[in-house]
Amino acid sequence: MSAILRGVRNTFRNSIRTISVVIILGLSIGLALTMLVSRQAVGDKIASVKSSIANVITVSPAGARGFAGGGEPLTTTQMTQIQNQAHVTAVTETLTDRLDASGTNLQSAITAGSLGRRFAGGGNGEGAGGGTSGAAGGTAPTTFTPPIIVIGTNDPASAQSLAGGAGGGGSVSLTSGKLFDGTVDAQDAVVGKDLATKNNLTLNSTFTAYSTTFTVVGIYDAGNTFSNSSVIMSLPTVQRLSGQAGDVTAAVVQVDSITNVDSVTNAIKNALGSAADVTSAQDSSAQALAPLQNIQSISLISVIGAVIAGAVIILLTMLMIVRERRREIGVLKAIGAGNLTIMWQFISEAITFTLISLVIGLGIGVAGAEPVTRALVSTSSNSSSSGGGAAGTRGGFGGGAAGRFLNSNSNLRNIHAAVSWQILLWGLLAAIVIAVVGSAIPALFIAKVRPAEVMRSE
Amino acid sequence: MLEIKDITKQFSSGGGEVMAVDKASLSVGAGKFVSIIGKSGSGKSTLLAILGALDKPTSGSIVVDGRDITQLPDRELIKYRRATIGFVFQSYNLIPNLTALQNVMLPMEFNHQSRTSRHARAIKLLNEVGLAGDKQDRRPAKLSGGEQQRVAIARALANKPKLILADEPTGNLDSATGKVIFDLLHKLTRTEGTTIIVVTHDLAIAGKTDQTFLLRDGKLLSRKT
Repeated sequence: MSAILRGVRNTFRNSIRTISVVIILGLSIGLALTMLVSRQAVGDKIASVKSSIANVITVSPAGARGFAGGGEPLTTTQMTQIQNQAHVTAVTETLTDRLDASGTNLQSAITAGSLGRRFAGGGNGEGAGGGTSGAAGGTAPTTFTPPIIVIGTNDPASAQSLAGGAGGGGSVSLTSGKLFDGTVDAQDAVVGKDLATKNNLTLNSTFTAYSTTFTVVGIYDAGNTFSNSSVIMSLPTVQRLSGQAGDVTAAVVQVDSITNVDSVTNAIKNALGSAADVTSAQDSSAQALAPLQNIQSISLISVIGAVIAGAVIILLTMLMIVRERRREIGVLKAIGAGNLTIMWQFISEAITFTLISLVIGLGIGVAGAEPVTRALVSTSSNSSSSGGGAAGTRGGFGGGAAGRFLNSNSNLRNIHAAVSWQILLWGLLAAIVIAVVGSAIPALFIAKVRPAEVMRSE
Repeated sequence: MLEIKDITKQFSSGGGEVMAVDKASLSVGAGKFVSIIGKSGSGKSTLLAILGALDKPTSGSIVVDGRDITQLPDRELIKYRRATIGFVFQSYNLIPNLTALQNVMLPMEFNHQSRTSRHARAIKLLNEVGLAGDKQDRRPAKLSGGEQQRVAIARALANKPKLILADEPTGNLDSATGKVIFDLLHKLTRTEGTTIIVVTHDLAIAGKTDQTFLLRDGKLLSRKT
């Protein structure tokens, strides 16, 4: 029988002690695993949120959002400054405009309703109405028709054209036809599917806007009524026809890596100064993700605490056992055992204690990970909401995917915690660390036990 | 075989110095059966621990087969104990959760013998000391005092040591069993050529050994040669 096997057998010499130690250590390992699983689940959720946000920065004229607010449009020079920043891979420029019945023969697919009529005279609603056809402030005209939103973009292939331009965003797909070159001044247009239906437009149909005839080259679906009631044209075309040469009302900047978003945001802010509002989706996501990151920190501290507690439990147990068996250690030394042999025997005993506890801990971890994670997320999200988590509510200002995602608090709470093989390996590693650390000091005591100890009671 | 010269062992105890062994000297030839007698606290067990390299003397030398073991480093002392010495203790000191057979196999495991050979030798030794059959598979708690001491003797013989040191081997046994154990040890000196040093306060046993030394107040006096 080897020293290791003797160590394994010794684990069961005192059944009451073994059961007690295994239960306490099992709870400790269970807590560590539970927190490890929570940490991973929350980490996965954070990564998923971050990846869904994409590496984009939105630049808009200071004080303006869509058709709301005021200020001066962005200029070609400013666009060049943005384009020249390091890590910027693309800049989608948009110029939005509105056409009423005098500017186009298209009819809006959106019914005005009471919401549209509120702003009919003021022209201060985001894409809802107002402008040229509205009656003067205060009076709610019953004949009011929402204008047609025209989006001029240099990159019609980008979903951000809609996200930044029309304020709705979403996953945009071309349902028929093709896109046009956004940098070329041409009379081609892509129309939203609701607008196409309302005006009986199909591919190659024509319509009039800015007293010019446009051909429908494509029809898109943005998944929401507002965006599907717009028209997309090339940027130079809209700039020329609307008399806003060189003007841009929004730019969506693509950055090469999510890690560079902050630095590029700051660089653009520095370059444009007070002329522009520069926001990244990360700004709003950081606030929403803060509770999850707190859970990550709490989980990590709990894991470390539980591992330390486990190591202390096994350390004290092994110290007690070594003290109890001083004479036996003396006997082993007297009959020719070396320190290392005896140490291995006790280390294997500690490892056996820990591995049995690991089995119990695994049971606790598997059973407890999901409810504990849910409880942590729920508590954290509630406290965050009561503290005024405004991130979600800002999504409508052109934040795109992040804004919409963060609008859904339940999405953040929807975390699935499962024990993976990776966690199991970490658990095994933690158990071995606990056993080795817990038996290291007792091993030193073993080395110091003099073989003459065996004669003590003789 | 064994020669000790001017061995002293001094302890600090209760603020003062205690001379447990005071310039003890003796010489024992190979295959001899030697007894050391003395009252309780006279330093018998301390002397035995020093002879068995379980403890180091304060001064003096112990020469075994021409080698001074007081000069050996710890690693060599382990080898010395493993290969040269067999211990028999008054309270047997068997490992409680191992069977008699496993207890006897233990020193051979430390001596890196194969499992097969140590198993065979352990059975042979237990048979020789009179512990046969299913008793070999019993744990010490299921054996009588005499049987446990037989196991302890078999364990002491496991690595064919040149010297067996026995500390009150019959101290916990009734007189009849004590005599059996003594005879067993005596037989070993004849059959195995093993040198045996027995510490005892049983004068009847001491009277039957080849040499007897009296330890009084740490000083070793020769009584019979």
